[in-house]
Amino acid sequence: MSELFPRKQVMGFVFSMVLTAVALLVYFLDMSFTAGMTVLLITAFVQAGLQLVVFMHAGETDDKGSIYTNIFYGVVIALVTVFGTLLILVWDM
Amino acid sequence: MKIDHSLPLEYSTEENRLKILGFWIFLGAEIMLFATLFASYFTLVDRTGSGPSGADIFEITPVLIETIVLLTSSFTIGLGVHAMRIGNKKAMLSFFAITLLLGAGFLGVEIYEFVHYAHIGAGIQTSAFTAILLTTLGTHGAHVTLGLLWGTAIILQVKKRGLTPETANKSFIFSLYWHFLDVVWIFIFSFVYLKGMM
Repeated sequence: MSELFPRKQVMGFVFSMVLTAVALLVYFLDMSFTAGMTVLLITAFVQAGLQLVVFMHAGETDDKGSIYTNIFYGVVIALVTVFGTLLILVWDM
Repeated sequence: MKIDHSLPLEYSTEENRLKILGFWIFLGAEIMLFATLFASYFTLVDRTGSGPSGADIFEITPVLIETIVLLTSSFTIGLGVHAMRIGNKKAMLSFFAITLLLGAGFLGVEIYEFVHYAHIGAGIQTSAFTAILLTTLGTHGAHVTLGLLWGTAIILQVKKRGLTPETANKSFIFSLYWHFLDVVWIFIFSFVYLKGMM
């Protein structure tokens, strides 16, 4: 039975629950907007990285380089889209 | 077809490896798709008109249930892929079935949430905010719905044909899709709900 629950994945799951709990502090504690957003940015990106490496086995084969390059590219375009939009339409710079 | 037995079944042929890489490229495009939705959401979040704001309509309980259910389903499908790699077909199918049940549970709560929003006057036409909120959540929900159908087909095929390089490859690719949905949800949970309720 225990061979069905590899340690790495169980630890990954526990850690993802801990990250969710930390993110929830934003709701239960009275934080400033900046502090709250900092917590959320950190927990969300760590959580995403955790899924990618532990559960999605991104770095397993010889295609590792291509896979990470591609995801990195996707994330860069995503960040440029989001922050570019914020910059022009919301922060009015 | 050259089968390399030193690798897990899902990577064992060149075609399989390329299909997995191809799916990662698709996921890269999906990241960009959701980025456009998030960009629109952040732009329109304060345009509530005479309708409610996020703080008025969000409730922590259903959101928390959705998050825990989806994180758990991401874990169980990870266990499913592990079981597949050690050749335990029965355990793999059980884990995949549990994953889909959790996915259906998630969808049930989300449907409840949508009905609730419509009921309290936050429909898709109420304001720019509710429109982009429901579009963002709905796009994720549509992905989960597709995942339920896809996952059911995978389970049926593995049941019928057993674990072959082909079915293992399909199952692994489905697991990538499912984990990705979980990643998107984490961002919705953090930057739509928690930010809105902060």
